[in-house]
Amino acid sequence: MNILICIKQVPDMESKFKINGEGTWYDRADLAWRMNEYDEYAVEQAVRLKEQVKDADLTVLCIGPDQVTETMKKALAMGCDRGVHIADPDSAKREPIEIASMIASFAKDKQFDIIFTGMQSQDRGSAQVGVMVAELLGMPAVTTIVGFSYDNGAIQVKRELEGGSKALVTATTPVVLTCQLGLNTPRYPTLPNIMKAKKKELLSLAPDAGGAGPLQETAACFFPAKKGGGLVLEGEIPELADKLIQLLKEKTGVLA
Amino acid sequence: MEFTREIYWNVGHGFTTLAPMYGLLLVALVFFVLGFLKRIKVYRLGQPLERSDQRGERIKHLLETVLLQTKVFRVPGAGTAHALFFWSFFVLFIGTTLIVVQADFTDLLFNIKFLKGTFYKLFSLTLDLAGLVAMLMLGGLLVRRYLVRPQGLVTKGDDALMHGLLFTILITGFLIEGARMAVTEMDTPLAAWSPVGWGIASLLAGVGEAELRILHTGLWWFHLVLALGFIALIPSTKFRHIVTTSVNAFFTDRGPTGKLTTINLEDENTEKFGASELTDLRWKDIFDADACTLCKRCQDRCPAYTTGKPLSPMQVVNQIGEVAFTARGANLIDTIGRDAIWACTTCFACQEICPASIEHVKKIVEMRRNLVLMEGEFPGEEVMAAMEQTEVNGNPLGMGYASRGDWAEALGVKPLSEDPEVDVLYFVGCYASFDKRNIAVATSLVKLCQAAGVKIGILGKEEKCCGEPMRKMGNEYLYQTLALETVEIIKGYGVKKIVTTCPHCFNTLAKDYRDFDFEVEVLPHPVFLEQLVASGKLKIKAEEFVCTYHDSCYLGRHNDIYDVPRKLIRAAGGRITEMAKCRDQAFCCSAGGGRIMAEEKLGERINIKRVEMAVATGSGQLLANCPFCLTMFEDGVKGANVEEQLRPRDIAEVLAERLASTNS
Repeated sequence: MNILICIKQVPDMESKFKINGEGTWYDRADLAWRMNEYDEYAVEQAVRLKEQVKDADLTVLCIGPDQVTETMKKALAMGCDRGVHIADPDSAKREPIEIASMIASFAKDKQFDIIFTGMQSQDRGSAQVGVMVAELLGMPAVTTIVGFSYDNGAIQVKRELEGGSKALVTATTPVVLTCQLGLNTPRYPTLPNIMKAKKKELLSLAPDAGGAGPLQETAACFFPAKKGGGLVLEGEIPELADKLIQLLKEKTGVLA
Repeated sequence: MEFTREIYWNVGHGFTTLAPMYGLLLVALVFFVLGFLKRIKVYRLGQPLERSDQRGERIKHLLETVLLQTKVFRVPGAGTAHALFFWSFFVLFIGTTLIVVQADFTDLLFNIKFLKGTFYKLFSLTLDLAGLVAMLMLGGLLVRRYLVRPQGLVTKGDDALMHGLLFTILITGFLIEGARMAVTEMDTPLAAWSPVGWGIASLLAGVGEAELRILHTGLWWFHLVLALGFIALIPSTKFRHIVTTSVNAFFTDRGPTGKLTTINLEDENTEKFGASELTDLRWKDIFDADACTLCKRCQDRCPAYTTGKPLSPMQVVNQIGEVAFTARGANLIDTIGRDAIWACTTCFACQEICPASIEHVKKIVEMRRNLVLMEGEFPGEEVMAAMEQTEVNGNPLGMGYASRGDWAEALGVKPLSEDPEVDVLYFVGCYASFDKRNIAVATSLVKLCQAAGVKIGILGKEEKCCGEPMRKMGNEYLYQTLALETVEIIKGYGVKKIVTTCPHCFNTLAKDYRDFDFEVEVLPHPVFLEQLVASGKLKIKAEEFVCTYHDSCYLGRHNDIYDVPRKLIRAAGGRITEMAKCRDQAFCCSAGGGRIMAEEKLGERINIKRVEMAVATGSGQLLANCPFCLTMFEDGVKGANVEEQLRPRDIAEVLAERLASTNS
């Protein structure tokens, strides 16, 4: 079984974000980087599938500047067999169709049975790459999966729908699956696997979007303007009560 | 008259006595030697460990612990009884040896007798009283074990055997003496020098000499067989502790206290990390199991055990013994249980009190290492998340690394990257960098330093967790990654002196980092501040207050810093009402051993228990020296619903409030 896992390196969401000079995206300074959370579920599910069927080859693919190989090493330590780094220092500027095209041009002649990826990225959040890859490769896609089972070629997944309802979907290979929170708990890589990961194949390729170009333009990226906002009162309880009454009197009409 | 007695009286000193006697002794010694050889083979299954360096010191320590019973004596009651029993039994042993030496060597070969005259009188009296003390102590211990039955005391068949055998040896000894005296000494002045023997002889007064002689011979051989049986039984029963516990004092960990072994992660041939099987442990870990006397002192002091968690340090050690001697091949981790392994706070109360020089904490960390490094297992998802957060942001709280130094901006404290010319580097630690409550402590330290004219700097966003909680939780790989980065950064700035407000950082930088050629002087803040006060640089107005003081495990037991913080508190006008469990017996706050990252799901809450002890002092204020303790106490006063009665604070906060105006 030939499996591809597409991952993205994203900033840790606790980072101090600043808007970049062009005002179109975030500045890369002072950010801590990690694997997109949803892609971690994708890696974990692929590794579990390999543990189940034994005979499987896991390729992890990541697009971005050289620093993304750090994140790829985690996927390799978790159990992926080989890495493919599509070296694109400007990946953050790419649109979903460009990213999907790069993946598709790599994957088109590799006969992947399953492509796992996150349902969206934590930073861009467009949730388009997975389904576009499926479309470009002519494969079916099942999105936002929270359950997965594989039995002798038959795949059954559970999807999370609006309002908390779930759907069971069956599929056969080849298929693209986009993973949602709740699918699994990603493992913590063991030390021997971290050591082994350092020696695994990590191929670096030039980006090939196959002629797909930008179709949209980010006009501006900004923090929402502060509108009022909450107020946290601090102090002893009687003091707090006084402050609250005063505020209600001054700023509202509820005590009038 | 000559004050002496005929050795081998009644039993004779001929071949018919000596041949079977020495024959039996030989048999006993064969049992003794073969028994231990068999066990030594098992000890040798463990990994190598150097424990025969500093021989002079080791021998001195062995003699002190064994002959003076220094460690045993620390716990009154059972400890006192054991020490007195040991001393009296030791005296009896020496007495018996002297008899053998005179009768079968000096007298036999050179006609030299030394058991006579005044020496004999004293000898006789001493042995008589030693026998009495031994019996009384044995009786006391018997009452304790079988009638009082202290909670948690494990009693096995061995204990009955030991009590029975020792008691019988002592009582037959007295009966032999009584029978002999009834025939030979009753109306002589010598009788007074054997008061117990005289008492027994008086009871035998009505018995005829012939019967006494038969009784004496029978008892003599019975006593001999029992005494030699005792020697033969040493290796295979709990009697072995006479040898193993004593020898373990020689093998004791000579420090630095609590320092773990740094795994060589560069060695690519290592395929297994930590311990899941007996052979993964070091030989000392197996030997420790044989040195344990089940005295339960560790268990009584274990914060996990005493709050109903499935960890008893004593059980851990004995389960290793079971795997070594009776259930060979069993998986250590399954035998001991994951919940027990994860429950340890590495507070060191067990090791500190152990009279048998056992190292409990390292064993537990070795098993944790196996779980984390080989299986990717943690006590809970929250711990795994904290590990991942530390990998990404350099702190287990998951705060963005770049804001690590934000707290100091308004205080005029700069990172070394902006201004490396400082007197002291303040290694802030994760909690004082990000946690609001502990930022108040960091702020106090800054104010105190500024008042004392000491220029401090921080690493700011270049600082990362020292790695201590991760290391104690078993994640040696993450610890070493963090440690190597930190060492390189600090060395890069040519720092000469470091102050910490976290004892975990202090312990790690000052002890663990020594394995990475890190030699910078590191001071915990109470010591640093006390030096400033003593040198007159820092002037504190003493304003009276009452408080109790909590010795954190990592300043206290791990580094023996007990008096300096107290001195500092008194300098600020504090009157300390000590908690019952204080100083080296202090009860952990629950957050050591990486437990700061874990939820406490089993048993009672340790921090609530500690807070209640502090409330019981009635002092209203609980002074701490550690951000983990402070966090647990702030949480504990809420959990115990005593926010009105107890205010947890750091010593630095109290001092900062009392800065003399001349400073500012």
